[in-house]
Amino acid sequence: MRDFRRGLLATLPLAPGVVAFGLLYGVMARQVGFSPWDAWAMSLIVHAGSAQFTALGMWRDAGAIPIILTTLVINLRHLLMGASVAPYLRRLSPPWKALLALWMSDESYALTIAEYERSRGSHRYFLGANVGIYLLWPTSGLVGALLGTAIPDPSRYGLDLVFPLAFLGLLTAFLKDRISVTVALVAGGLALLGARLLPGSWYVVMAGLLGSGVGVLLEEVMGIWRNF
Amino acid sequence: MEKLLTFIGMGLATYLTRYTMIAALGQEMPPLLRRWLRYVPPAALAALIAPAALAPRGHLEFGIQAGAVMAGAVIAWRTRSVPGAILGGMAIFWIWKALGL
Repeated sequence: MRDFRRGLLATLPLAPGVVAFGLLYGVMARQVGFSPWDAWAMSLIVHAGSAQFTALGMWRDAGAIPIILTTLVINLRHLLMGASVAPYLRRLSPPWKALLALWMSDESYALTIAEYERSRGSHRYFLGANVGIYLLWPTSGLVGALLGTAIPDPSRYGLDLVFPLAFLGLLTAFLKDRISVTVALVAGGLALLGARLLPGSWYVVMAGLLGSGVGVLLEEVMGIWRNF
Repeated sequence: MEKLLTFIGMGLATYLTRYTMIAALGQEMPPLLRRWLRYVPPAALAALIAPAALAPRGHLEFGIQAGAVMAGAVIAWRTRSVPGAILGGMAIFWIWKALGL
């Protein structure tokens, strides 16, 4: 219970960012003809911000199948995130794994994996972080849709910076040696390039895979060097 | 009704991406894969940060966002605190804005 509460509370600093984008999502949902309940239902069922914004953008012109496929593609980054927490969840029962996967967001994943890295992580913390974001995202979407009026762009108030700043705070847990620093720099550079050239959130998948691959490669090279 | 079915389809697609690896990588893993996975978090986090900080509108720019995130990076590095990084970075953003730089 204590770990659950710690995970839940850890999402609080992220709340301004989640709520700002949740409100914006609700307003945009009204603009494509959703009722507030439609907007709420989508958030409750899908719970994936970037995919939902993209779906709204496609709603008027695209059918269900292209929207669902796009959702799949945008969320492929979760394969990578799931793979990296999987070793910590190995001993859990299938229902626990299924439950933890349900509301895993970028934010709750990042909070949890950093906690595991600092040897303080647990599946209850993960659940708490998942629930924390899940309490905020659909609710703020509903409120935004009920207000329905134009809400200023979150970036005007720097609220789009909440996520990169939080991720930076969490990234420090992983920067322990020259290899991990190099991995982060390479992945960041590749992501900048990929964000320009690749559609959707493919840049996270590409930079995540290649950046971490560089880490293993450097380990190998330095191992050979030491044994030379 | 069609809306609801689309939402459910989107929800299933999302769940598939979240559940697959957590379920599949259950048991013994090759050591190389495990070593690789150790570097995924820093790589993925850096990949989420860089474009949001340095190219918020799709092209590279070193403006107010980049400045605030750089300041946040220094604070994150010194304090290792998530609230600290958020508050510090946002404070820089607002001060920058208020000064009209």
